[in-house]
Amino acid sequence: MLVLTSLSFSIMVLFCLAMTKHREQVLESEVSMLAVRFFRPFAWLLLLFTGYLSVDMYGWSIGPALLFGALTIATLLLILLLTYRAKIVPELAIVLSLIASMSIFIA
Amino acid sequence: MKDNFRQSMKWFHTWVGLVVGWILFFMFLTGSLGYFYQEITRWMEPERPFVVQQISTEELLDTAQIYLEKHAEGADGWDIMLPNIRDQNLRVGWRHPAEPGKKRGKYKIKVLDVNTGDKVERRATGGGRLLYRMHYRLHYLSTNISYWIVGFCSMLMLLAVITGVVIHKKIFTDFFTFRAKKGLPGWLDIHNVLSVIALPFHFMITYSGLLFFLFTYMVLSTNLQTNEDEYREMRKEIYPRTVHLDKTNQAAKMLDISFLYQQAKTTWQASELSYVEMFAANDVNAHALFVRHETDITYNPDDEITVNAVTGEIILSKHKQYTVAAMIHNGFFSLHEGQFSGPVARWVYFFTGLIGSAMIASGLILWTTKRKPKQMKKTNGPDFGYRLVEQLNIGTIVGLPIAIAMYFYANRLLPLDMANRINWEANVMFISWAILLIYPMFRPAAKAWYEQLQLATLVYIGLPLVNALTTDKHLFNSLNKQDWNLAGFDLTLLLVGGCFAFAAYKFKTLQISKRANNDREIEKQTNRPVQVANESLLPLQQVNKEKC
Repeated sequence: MLVLTSLSFSIMVLFCLAMTKHREQVLESEVSMLAVRFFRPFAWLLLLFTGYLSVDMYGWSIGPALLFGALTIATLLLILLLTYRAKIVPELAIVLSLIASMSIFIA
Repeated sequence: MKDNFRQSMKWFHTWVGLVVGWILFFMFLTGSLGYFYQEITRWMEPERPFVVQQISTEELLDTAQIYLEKHAEGADGWDIMLPNIRDQNLRVGWRHPAEPGKKRGKYKIKVLDVNTGDKVERRATGGGRLLYRMHYRLHYLSTNISYWIVGFCSMLMLLAVITGVVIHKKIFTDFFTFRAKKGLPGWLDIHNVLSVIALPFHFMITYSGLLFFLFTYMVLSTNLQTNEDEYREMRKEIYPRTVHLDKTNQAAKMLDISFLYQQAKTTWQASELSYVEMFAANDVNAHALFVRHETDITYNPDDEITVNAVTGEIILSKHKQYTVAAMIHNGFFSLHEGQFSGPVARWVYFFTGLIGSAMIASGLILWTTKRKPKQMKKTNGPDFGYRLVEQLNIGTIVGLPIAIAMYFYANRLLPLDMANRINWEANVMFISWAILLIYPMFRPAAKAWYEQLQLATLVYIGLPLVNALTTDKHLFNSLNKQDWNLAGFDLTLLLVGGCFAFAAYKFKTLQISKRANNDREIEKQTNRPVQVANESLLPLQQVNKEKC
């Protein structure tokens, strides 16, 4: 569940960075448009992977249900951070996805 | 009606939401607490012992069997509920033989102390079950009427969810947008964010909620389309049949349940037993059913293992016969109740339920915020309708949580030998709610909000203290014994109290800055300084410093 939430957070950060108004909120330096164009497809890929992972971990019925829960919590966290602590969003996304991938490899 | 589609949907969403908003808030909040009803019951029965760490399942089964052999003689079946993360006590239950003229006998449930093997004398309490049952079985009303009211509200909720999606103009571009602004835009953002992020949950919970009383709501349709036999057949398909094992009245020596469990668990990977059902105990026909924690939302036949309790052989045919319709139906129930969820997922369920309650609350506040400027300009003061909505908002959004805390207070403070104690626990809750609904009538809205927020802080932070004064199951002891179940409850109360304190503080600072803004406006218009009381200036300066 925590792995799913961490990955969901990274997915949502990618989706949000694909939008100009949020990118300005979060990032101080300009990112090349080429990189930005990859954010959204990458987010979808990661979402597919997380969906696969949830089914792999919890079975075809419980997995997707937990994924929706994870997405809800992750999005709420991201929205609150965007409003009150926008600058730490990229760092947190990187740290959380590192923790998630580490726990996948360990388990 | 209104000129175009979106406008009319907006009108519909506004008024549908308003009419049933307060009942929905009640349903969502008590329903969210239902995800923890076992944990709440354990807290409300402080006579139960602390968790006993490191005790094997076999030992527990032996303790339960010895007790049942002694006390549940003549009962048709036994249940043994093993300690788990939600309820860390061993519980046993059995149904007495039916009295003449009655269909079923009385069901008794006992909590056992695993150290002594004897039952624990518990106080009379409604527990978490009574609290969560309120969310569909409105306490004082008759079953049928409550189902209809609940169904009506849920149906309107479903419509509000759908129309909400229709009228949200920029659901994707504003997906992450939350501007912490005062007044209308801020509340609109809050309402949108809370609705959109948990939309799958809102839809699922409302839709599956409607399925619960399917045969009540669809009575016309089933009556018209089926005759009695067909109706019975349909019910059989939806509600899975249990293979019933009756007594043959030939006594037989049963094997130990712990021994049977060792036979059964070889097919499971880990020790994950949740409960045991014993059919026709001490009879030739005795069977034990071992059930583990659910591993599928619909139904996984491998979650149950039946063993012949006399011979010890595993029975391969399944205990329940599921049809496809039954599996879908069971799936929706399981999704609604989150039966399959582990500890973290359960918190997520609870939290999403709270998001739902907050969404309803923000919608109700939005209604008054939108009308406030116009209403305040009226020479005779705001209309009755506006004042009523404001009053109900205060009395429900802050009043109901206080009333729920009062339910817990009643559990600790009412005399233990009181007659009708269970009823009075609930009465205390509803009397407090009624007082808090009436109270805002006599106070200016801003003051009533602030005072009730303060009261909520006080009652929630006071609850663990009252717990410590009246029982030995307080935070200090439960942390010491590493009983996270009990400790978690007290810590959650403190956290909720903290949230209310923060809300009260924020409310006050916003009120002060609003007043200061108004004064500045007047200064601008009249070129004359307005005197501001010193005490209100002080926090304002702090706020300004924070902003700098």
